[in-house]
Amino acid sequence: MAMRRPALSAALLWPALVVMAPLLLGPLVLLAHESLKPFVGGRVGGDESGALTLQNYAQIADPQYVRYFLDTFRVGLLATALALVLGFPVAHFIARRAGPVMRRLLVGGLVGTLFLSIIVRVYAIAMTFGPHGPLADFSRIFGVTASSPDGAELMVVLGLLNSTLPLVALTLIGTLQNINPRLEDAAMSLGAPRWKTFFQVTVAMSLPGILSAAIIAYAFCISNLVVPMLVGRGFIVFVSNLIYFRFSEVANFPSGAALSMVMMVISVALFYGLLHLVRSHWQEAGK
Amino acid sequence: MSLTRRDFTRAALAGTGLAATGLSTLGLLTPAQAAERLLVVQWGANWIEVSKQIVAEFQKTNDTQIAWELHAGGSAAVVAKIKAVWPRTQYNVLSVWDPVFRAMIAEDWLLPIDESIVTNLKTIPDQYIQKNAKGEKMTVPLSTAGAFWGYREDLLPGGFSSLEDLLKPEFKGKLCVPYPINLTGLLIVSAAIQRGGNEKNAEPGWDFIKELAAKGQIGEICTSNSEYINAMATGRYSVGFWNNGGWFATAKNFPVKLKSRMPDNKGFLYNEGFCVLKGSPQKAAFEFANFFAEPKMNELYNMNLGSGPTQPSAKTNPMLVDWYYTPEELPKYAYFADFAYLSSVMSEWNARWEREIVPLVRKG
Repeated sequence: MAMRRPALSAALLWPALVVMAPLLLGPLVLLAHESLKPFVGGRVGGDESGALTLQNYAQIADPQYVRYFLDTFRVGLLATALALVLGFPVAHFIARRAGPVMRRLLVGGLVGTLFLSIIVRVYAIAMTFGPHGPLADFSRIFGVTASSPDGAELMVVLGLLNSTLPLVALTLIGTLQNINPRLEDAAMSLGAPRWKTFFQVTVAMSLPGILSAAIIAYAFCISNLVVPMLVGRGFIVFVSNLIYFRFSEVANFPSGAALSMVMMVISVALFYGLLHLVRSHWQEAGK
Repeated sequence: MSLTRRDFTRAALAGTGLAATGLSTLGLLTPAQAAERLLVVQWGANWIEVSKQIVAEFQKTNDTQIAWELHAGGSAAVVAKIKAVWPRTQYNVLSVWDPVFRAMIAEDWLLPIDESIVTNLKTIPDQYIQKNAKGEKMTVPLSTAGAFWGYREDLLPGGFSSLEDLLKPEFKGKLCVPYPINLTGLLIVSAAIQRGGNEKNAEPGWDFIKELAAKGQIGEICTSNSEYINAMATGRYSVGFWNNGGWFATAKNFPVKLKSRMPDNKGFLYNEGFCVLKGSPQKAAFEFANFFAEPKMNELYNMNLGSGPTQPSAKTNPMLVDWYYTPEELPKYAYFADFAYLSSVMSEWNARWEREIVPLVRKG
């Protein structure tokens, strides 16, 4: 019986694998192949008759393109960090302080925002905080004017935050609800001040949830196309935008495919690197 | 008597089959004769609004069903979408412009226009019609359109007389321009003409755009008509370079002056219209295109777009009198770019913009 269970589990994996392999791996292999094809200006897609080449990757190696990758990861990181800093107190309030009615209202509100089109949300931000919006001076808090390139970056961060904040808060509500409040009471009854209890018990025990929320938010940010396109004003351009222009506008599929492959490899490496870093520190702290 | 679920299902299926056969024999079910359906790709903003008006007229006498899809970004994007699935595309009729016509003719995707159905093509001047290597007519031109520099007179009462003026400090952050892939690089060509070059000698144009970018004159880089119209409506920008459609929409709400007659620069002219993809229901598609090319409809279409009609008998919107050129003015002020060449360098220009211009505008 004990031998049959793993076999059964493995057998149950097959339907998912059969669906996922052609849907995920198939296109990835095609994309990798496309990235090696030469491109002839004025034609659509890669040249099928030409010899495979690494030229498309060589073009991305230009130092100016490093800037686009750095911008994407930096702005994404900023929006994720802000979402965590602002989302944690919201989640904490909902999980620990809010009454049943208030909790329903707040969770409903957070879920409701996810059903609102991202385009509507981004335009609402542009109209409110943009150079001619009623809160145009908001950007001055950060020492920038709304019409400057840095103002455009602020708009992109706000646009991303608008989507990531509800995601982060909703993820953390579950995490916080799973932490027994008596542990916090125990810490305080033993003389720990409230702030120390919060950071060394509540936050420390929420780390797995915080990490999950951060990964979800960061993945959303660095793969985002719409927000920089709508409020970046052509100044803030993410790698997704570069890929989109190549596939959609100039029909240079090989270059778009090469950028996609590089972005995918860097993103996966980054996530695994971060996971490894956090886990090793976390386990070290646990010892 | 008991009836199992399986018996019931069999009986129901048999009954349905018999009923369908009977109705079909009597001619009550005629699926093949159902109305044709066309999926038409059109630009948003004024284009789709006027097209729906014309289709309402079309459907009074024709039962072809029309479904619309809007261009996302530049109209060249539709080429990539078609390539990905060709020849199993869902699209039938495309509303695009000269460079995109050329790309699709090069891919051999288009049906030659059947002039026995598109009878209105006869009165459209031949030079407007794009042809394939065999000389077959491949497009139904509906508009003579253009791309021009211009400004909002309410924000910039004095205007400007030359593109060189745009380098002055008072224009810092005031320019709204297209990404080079929009309008197929005409912004760079315009800047090149300003400094003695052209599309094949674009280096002076790149230098000029770099100067504008480095001085912080460029306030926004747009990628679609709607984006441009919205940007100019906010009042953030007083000067722009865009197509007549974007300017026309802006001019409906604000006083606009087009700089189409500058002594040291040119305005760009081209045609927009319909083409029909292979594999489409030909009769329905050509009847649809023919209806739009009918002089009255051509007039209505262009009155609303701010474009010049292609039917000589159609009237031009009075607002446009100053925008386009008289035959005598054409050689002096109009420029007909080599779109086949521009299409061949567009990917390279796009990459160059990313490498050389965006870092400069980013610095402000």
